[in-house]
Amino acid sequence: MLEHAMVVLQPYSLLTILIGTIAGVAIGGMPGLTATMAVGLLVPFTYTMDPALGLMLLGGIYCGAMYGGSIPAILLNTPGTPAAVATAIEGFPMSQKGKAGLALKVSVVASFVGGFFSVIILLLFAPLLARQALNFGPPETFLLALMGLAGIISIADENSSLIKALIAGLLGMVIAIVGTDDMSGSLRYTMGYIELIDGIDFMPALIGLFSMIQMLELAGMRKKHEIDVSALHKKQRNDPLPKGIFKYIAVGAGTGTVIGVLPGEGATIAAFISYNVSKRISKVKELFGKGNPEGIAAAEAGNNGCVGGSLVPTLTLGIPGNSVAAALMGAFIIHGMIPGPDLFNEYADRTYPFIMSMFIANGVFLIVGLTIAPYLARIALIPPAILVPVVSAFAVLGSYALNNAVFDVFLMIAFAGFGLILKKLGFSLEALILGLILGPIAEGGFSQGMIIGKGSPWIFFESNIAKIMWVLIILLLVPPLYSYWKNTAMVKAPSLDDQD
Amino acid sequence: MLKKSIIAGLVLSVAMAAPAMAGSYPSKAITVIVPSKAGGSTDRTARMITETMKTQNKGFEFVIKDIPGSGGQKGFEAINRARPDGYTIGLVFTPQLVAHIVSKRARYTLDSFRILGNVAQDPGIVAVPKDSKIMNLADLAKMAKAKPLTVAVNGIGSDDFLAAKSFEAKAGVTFNLLPTKGSTEQKAGILGGHFDAAFMNLSQMIAQHKAGDARIIAILAADRDENMSEMPTSKEQGYEVYMTATRGMVAPAKIDKAILDQLEAMVVKAVNDPDFKAKAKKGNIYLAPMNGADYLSYLKGLQADTQAVYDKAPW
Amino acid sequence: MAKRHLDRIVLVGFAVMAVLLFISTASYPGIAQKTSALYVKFLAASMGILAVVQLGFSIFRDNDTGKLHFTDHMPRFFGLLIALIIFGAVFEYVGFFISAGLFIPVVAVLLGYRNYLVIALTTVSVLAFVYLVFEKLLAVNLPGFSL
Repeated sequence: MLEHAMVVLQPYSLLTILIGTIAGVAIGGMPGLTATMAVGLLVPFTYTMDPALGLMLLGGIYCGAMYGGSIPAILLNTPGTPAAVATAIEGFPMSQKGKAGLALKVSVVASFVGGFFSVIILLLFAPLLARQALNFGPPETFLLALMGLAGIISIADENSSLIKALIAGLLGMVIAIVGTDDMSGSLRYTMGYIELIDGIDFMPALIGLFSMIQMLELAGMRKKHEIDVSALHKKQRNDPLPKGIFKYIAVGAGTGTVIGVLPGEGATIAAFISYNVSKRISKVKELFGKGNPEGIAAAEAGNNGCVGGSLVPTLTLGIPGNSVAAALMGAFIIHGMIPGPDLFNEYADRTYPFIMSMFIANGVFLIVGLTIAPYLARIALIPPAILVPVVSAFAVLGSYALNNAVFDVFLMIAFAGFGLILKKLGFSLEALILGLILGPIAEGGFSQGMIIGKGSPWIFFESNIAKIMWVLIILLLVPPLYSYWKNTAMVKAPSLDDQD
Repeated sequence: MLKKSIIAGLVLSVAMAAPAMAGSYPSKAITVIVPSKAGGSTDRTARMITETMKTQNKGFEFVIKDIPGSGGQKGFEAINRARPDGYTIGLVFTPQLVAHIVSKRARYTLDSFRILGNVAQDPGIVAVPKDSKIMNLADLAKMAKAKPLTVAVNGIGSDDFLAAKSFEAKAGVTFNLLPTKGSTEQKAGILGGHFDAAFMNLSQMIAQHKAGDARIIAILAADRDENMSEMPTSKEQGYEVYMTATRGMVAPAKIDKAILDQLEAMVVKAVNDPDFKAKAKKGNIYLAPMNGADYLSYLKGLQADTQAVYDKAPW
Repeated sequence: MAKRHLDRIVLVGFAVMAVLLFISTASYPGIAQKTSALYVKFLAASMGILAVVQLGFSIFRDNDTGKLHFTDHMPRFFGLLIALIIFGAVFEYVGFFISAGLFIPVVAVLLGYRNYLVIALTTVSVLAFVYLVFEKLLAVNLPGFSL
């Protein structure tokens, strides 16, 4: 182990990790640039590099990008990755109150703890955990998606209408059914567009619904600043972390690591489940949605916890935990390192340094994040007339670059237009994007489960894991529904306006 | 990468400054359309072969353009639509290339392309969970007759699907077919014992088989594969079910004959380069060199076979 | 238009969409009937019911006559939207660098910014950044670069 650690501590290695991590933070922060894309494009580039260094570079990008997504989410309400949507729900209101510096600090500390914890788990328990993850079949995947979708209720339950949030979530799931029906191979609702055969990518939707709507609103704003800038000028460096925040970070780190190990796009589910749980256990539930750092802590620790978690099945079994891990697996294979036991014996001199390098990567973004947070917070001071065209240009570029398709650019603009109308009417766009991302996972798990069960829905209740998951789903659903019901029943007056 | 761009830039400026030099090919970088995600094994194949072609042929530059999606169809269409000036070629893969034609989704036909040659292949296999009682194809057929087995294929119309359908026909059984999104789900399901069997490709399961996490029971080919010579083929086991995924290079149909011949020679030369062979072996890519004419006749045969499956059970 | 009216129109739209979606599942082929169709039916039914319930709330309880307030500044709002659409439409033909090089200053001026030096510097640095990251680092082929 010590010799592997020495490899990581070489100056060249440290420099590579530093470059990778900082590039990752920038990539995660840019609307439309994703870690999946960056790692995928850089895999051939690492071919000519020393294998260990190449992997460290990509590992740094992965760690950095997962954190980077939270920066624009907090400052501008433009989450750079879907996993940062929950962060935006709490982070942006904090920015509007002039507490961007604190929000950024909470986010970077939570990201660091979540990421660091998950890498420890990866280093120590990878083979053991991977075996456990295999018990997770299609029926359980379906239930996991349901657990994530339960987050819709926690997005809604205080001020906005629960029904509208549910409708928005369902709308997202309905949009997600456009495309090929995986079960029959037939096309559903594609209207002859070849671009729709694969369905509607969630990235143009994410960019349109958040980044672009935010820019359209800023463009049409008469007042120069909605943000309380007075606090920005004060030294924020010494703002202490809120008391008791580590409880929420711990919730997120644990949830994230566990969910990261399971197959499927875990980071978004992990962030929303952590957010949901933290809201349930919080003493100040009413502050959620209005800028509660507890929510940021849980969500960010949750999505960064997925980094280490997702590599557990990738490295031990060759089953990538998500799309970034899949791209990373390509980098291993290109160097002849086929995932499996070989990685930990024959190629131990590359695999262990790679895993350990991610400790450094987490440390790098912690230091970078803490140092630049007060300066980043000043982004809020950039005049909207400059900010809007620049972010819009990146929104267009990002939508295009995902699939090299202009179709996605127009999809993004359409999401912005229709999304703005829905937002004005009180439909939750967070719920919509959650439905859009989790819908296909839910459908895949459901349909495959029905085939395995030969048409019997009992398959979803059969295994012990499934039973436990049902209990968790009920625990996540019943208390908020009950309190919501109580609130509406108490206020019977016709003046009740559940729109805003 | 910087050097490459400077050269590309120089070549470009020369090309623009002197249209009279139009006869000298190439005057700028050649775009290679890869109908797949960046970083995947298809993308890696394309990058490796063009890298070799660049080293072997002075003055040639290649840029990869990934157009992922819809089982390669978006990319195939883009190659078909590209200007046939020799500055856009592409990589295609089977059986999706012909499957889209057969299922009447494609706006191209095989005649839309000039075939440069095949580069790589990935033979079909049948995999089962490690503690499964199924040891060979005969067991698979026997068990499937007793009760419907859940068999995973990577999407409808894929090579796995076609192989599974072909096996059903030859063995007279009907599977409880389960289409997955990608081979990752197939792997997870087989390793976790959620499926009874899966039709996949060799490169996707060979490491898991060697590690003892899953068991391959047959390679769907007539001859044994050099990467796994101990594994009996489907032919040896008495089932003439053959399936392999190939990856070859094509150009748009109306390309100039002289340029076509030049490119074809380059592809064939690159595939047989020892350095390229070594790289491919390390990167888990199985080479299957074929020249343009051979690959074209292979594609035509495959289209006919696929048509037969489609006519029986369209998707 | 009053906000509640648009709200009701949208809800009716969702309800109609849900019904159409439900009906359309009848045409799903083969195995999809036992799998995907059930899932889509569930989505359609839930959506339809919720839309109708919400419509009921809106009709019986919502007396809010407030207007739908889209934006303070119509010309800027729609100006940006139109600029975006034009940007999206032309950038595959004229290339990213030319179209973005026009889009950024035009929108900045449209939004009332008049410090041309800052606009020029911003535009140049964005283009330089994109060039370095996309063309050099990631080797993505943006349209129009190689002409």
